[in-house]
Amino acid sequence: MADITLDRVHKQYGSVTIIDQLSLQVKHGEFFTLLGPSGCGKTTLLRMIAGFIQPDQGRILIGEQDVTRLPAHKRETGMVFQDYALFPDKTVFDNVAYGLRVRKVPAEQIRQRVHRILERVELSHLPDRYPGELSGGQRQRVALARALVIEPRILLMDEPLSNLDAKLRIQMRDVIRELQLELQITTIFVTHDQEEALSMSDRIALLRKGRIDQLDDPESLYQKPVSSYAADFIGAANLVKISGMQPHGQGFQVSVPGGSVWVAGPCNHKQVCIAVRPEHVIISPVGINSELGSIPATVVFRRYLGFKVTYCLRLADGSTINADTPASQDPRFEPSTQVHVSFGRQARLVSTSEQQA
Amino acid sequence: MIGRLPPDRAPWVIPALLALVVLVFFVVWPLASLLFKSVTDFRTGAFTLEGFKTFIEDPTYRTAFFNTVKLGIISSCGSMLIGAPLAYVVTRFDFPGKGVVAILPLATIVVPDIVVSQAWLMMLGNNGLLRNVLSMVGIELPSFYGWFGMIYTMILNDYTYAYIGMLAALKAIDGTIEEAATNLGASDLRRLLTVTLPVLAPAILINTMVVFTLAVDNFSIPMILGGRVDVLSSLTYMTFLSEMGGDPKMQSVLAVVSVILVGVVLFVQKVIVERKTYQMQQGRAPRPVKAQGPLAVVLTTMALFFVAVSLIPAIIVMVGAFTQSSGPVMNYGTFTLENLGRALRQAPGPILNSLMLASVAAVAGTAFACIVSYLIVKKRMMVVSLLDYVVMLPLAISGTVLGIALIQTYNSGYIVLTGTWIIMAAAYFVRKVPFSIRSASGALYSIPESIEEASINLGVSPIRSFFKVILPIMKPAILAAAILMWVTSLSEISATIVLYFGGMETMPIEMYRQIDAGYLARASAYGVILMVIILVPVYLAIRFLKLDLFSVRGR
Repeated sequence: MADITLDRVHKQYGSVTIIDQLSLQVKHGEFFTLLGPSGCGKTTLLRMIAGFIQPDQGRILIGEQDVTRLPAHKRETGMVFQDYALFPDKTVFDNVAYGLRVRKVPAEQIRQRVHRILERVELSHLPDRYPGELSGGQRQRVALARALVIEPRILLMDEPLSNLDAKLRIQMRDVIRELQLELQITTIFVTHDQEEALSMSDRIALLRKGRIDQLDDPESLYQKPVSSYAADFIGAANLVKISGMQPHGQGFQVSVPGGSVWVAGPCNHKQVCIAVRPEHVIISPVGINSELGSIPATVVFRRYLGFKVTYCLRLADGSTINADTPASQDPRFEPSTQVHVSFGRQARLVSTSEQQA
Repeated sequence: MIGRLPPDRAPWVIPALLALVVLVFFVVWPLASLLFKSVTDFRTGAFTLEGFKTFIEDPTYRTAFFNTVKLGIISSCGSMLIGAPLAYVVTRFDFPGKGVVAILPLATIVVPDIVVSQAWLMMLGNNGLLRNVLSMVGIELPSFYGWFGMIYTMILNDYTYAYIGMLAALKAIDGTIEEAATNLGASDLRRLLTVTLPVLAPAILINTMVVFTLAVDNFSIPMILGGRVDVLSSLTYMTFLSEMGGDPKMQSVLAVVSVILVGVVLFVQKVIVERKTYQMQQGRAPRPVKAQGPLAVVLTTMALFFVAVSLIPAIIVMVGAFTQSSGPVMNYGTFTLENLGRALRQAPGPILNSLMLASVAAVAGTAFACIVSYLIVKKRMMVVSLLDYVVMLPLAISGTVLGIALIQTYNSGYIVLTGTWIIMAAAYFVRKVPFSIRSASGALYSIPESIEEASINLGVSPIRSFFKVILPIMKPAILAAAILMWVTSLSEISATIVLYFGGMETMPIEMYRQIDAGYLARASAYGVILMVIILVPVYLAIRFLKLDLFSVRGR
């Protein structure tokens, strides 16, 4: 049974469509991520579920209940805001107790429940601090405790990690995921950070202009992107233009600048290009005679990144692609060296329709 | 239209409309009827420009207008010439005794301008203390009544406003731009003239204009010290007295001219604020340099001198309150409690009236400011945008003009308020509420939308969330605004002078009447009581509630 159902939800401001007839279902206990660049509609969608924005059309269900017209304060969702939105004039304890007091929970029970959740987020030693006296990570955990203590039906998180520094962000990912697994609470997580999405989610909906571009588990999204948009947004991908393709074996023989290569199929898109991740581009000094095929390229420069080396290569049509090699196997090509590249079996044909600038 | 509003706006339409009705009733309608009366023949009701023709042709009116502009320009420039360098020195140097300049902003609130006028009258007026001392050593001062007294007192009364404004501007400067200038080889003086001053220019202009409007608005200084020199505020009041019961044309014309004058200045100021303020990176202001040797002596002397000058009026009035007098003659060196005793026991009316009126205005004004600022900041819609404009309208209306507008509008017809305390409290409310709204809005702008949403998300309805979450966060700003509204209402005189009636004299009115009659000791007694009543809540607020009554304090 689905915990959250969006049924053809639509929202536009004037002539600008923010959410375009979008439907999706989130299962019970699932960690579901809405991923996309700013302006893709992910926050709007989350705020619709919380009840801060009304859809123009469509229905929103939490469990079996249609909440489309239910005011925000009656939806029993727990939300963690991007800026945490802690009440600055209230202590940690009072912030967390706020939702319980509204629900007229007896004082003794409030004390216990607040204490228990604070213990869970490792803040039980700071109940009397004010938000201004906490570090970013601590504020984040107070916000999490405040949303969870009311035992909401679902947990909504709006880019909760974006205000933390890099190290803390990675730490908090684990804190959140661990807590979510323990409580088995259905969670919708909004982020623009693909690494965050990949590392935390059960499923990811990649959004683009108010629509779902691809909805998949993290592995599939990374390994089998359907569109050039998905390939480019999740991880890094070289997009190579093609000038023709013939079915060949399990895939296609594809004409690319400087020659032709073989790419695994199937493919049922009309407009396509090759998406190949830098770690799947193989450089060699001479052409290799394999069924994959290879094309000539020129080294533009070499970028040393510690654990790996990235080469920027120019193809016959003047476009550039990146190729990664582990630092330990670096062939140390100088700029202007003529080389040959081939694409690994992981290269895919992806749709380029509605290609964004 | 309500049907099309988003659900979070719709419930606020009614409060917005109610607030608008209050403002239309007390500001827009009186102002409109003032304008109407200035171009209408009293007997026939026909349209006429007779009044404005008289204004232009009659030298009395014309001169008063030019005197007002002259007084405004001289005193605003004079105030800036003192206030800006003082602010510069305070932000850029550390010197012994710097801490005392923190008193200056306080002095603007605690020492009302009527006290300042009276005190300098006692020092430099005919038979004034300082005048007599100087006379003994052979220095004869010109008469204090007229330009000398007006400009002198006005500058000493208003330079603190220039100082406060410039202090804020100087603290907002990004220090690195000066370091860049030095790095590029500019000397200290060159850097001040070519980098710092140009960046400050908009602030200098804006604050000069603020002082200009204060000078146009001021009533007590021209009335007490103006002598034969008429300015708009005093002439409007005199015309009001002479036209009482008759054709109110010339008072209306003068009032309209004054509104236009202040309105133009405010408009230019707004344009400068919008166009000329530079986008500056939020940087740290340069650290103050420790002044040493002769420079330290000069700076300390200067700071102490200005603090002394600002506090002298309070001291003089204090002395006056305890000095025996026979009629207008002060017997300095004697001591009596008779003046204070008389004010407190035999004639406590003005004290009680002032307290009552200021309290009503402050309570009503604070509640009003909370709701309106919330609407302006968080619930933008058409009716609220309109409200935003109308609520700032009183800033363009000087006190005397507002008083005349109210009294003309509500002295007959369906609603008669003339001769009631309500009209007096309403005038204070209207005059002070824009400042409270600014202060409350400032607090609200710093509260992110998400705070309110967090409360709603936890199950509290939007209206209850406002009271449970937003109001508590705003509390310090609201309290500060309420206290400021209360104390500034206590010292209000320019609207009160028109609106008060027998039995409803306030403390400043009683002071003005006693000064006018020559009883300076009695006036001093009320002055001391007024200052004590103002000082107590201000002190308590700063000391115990840690409120920031002035957005900037010498730190």
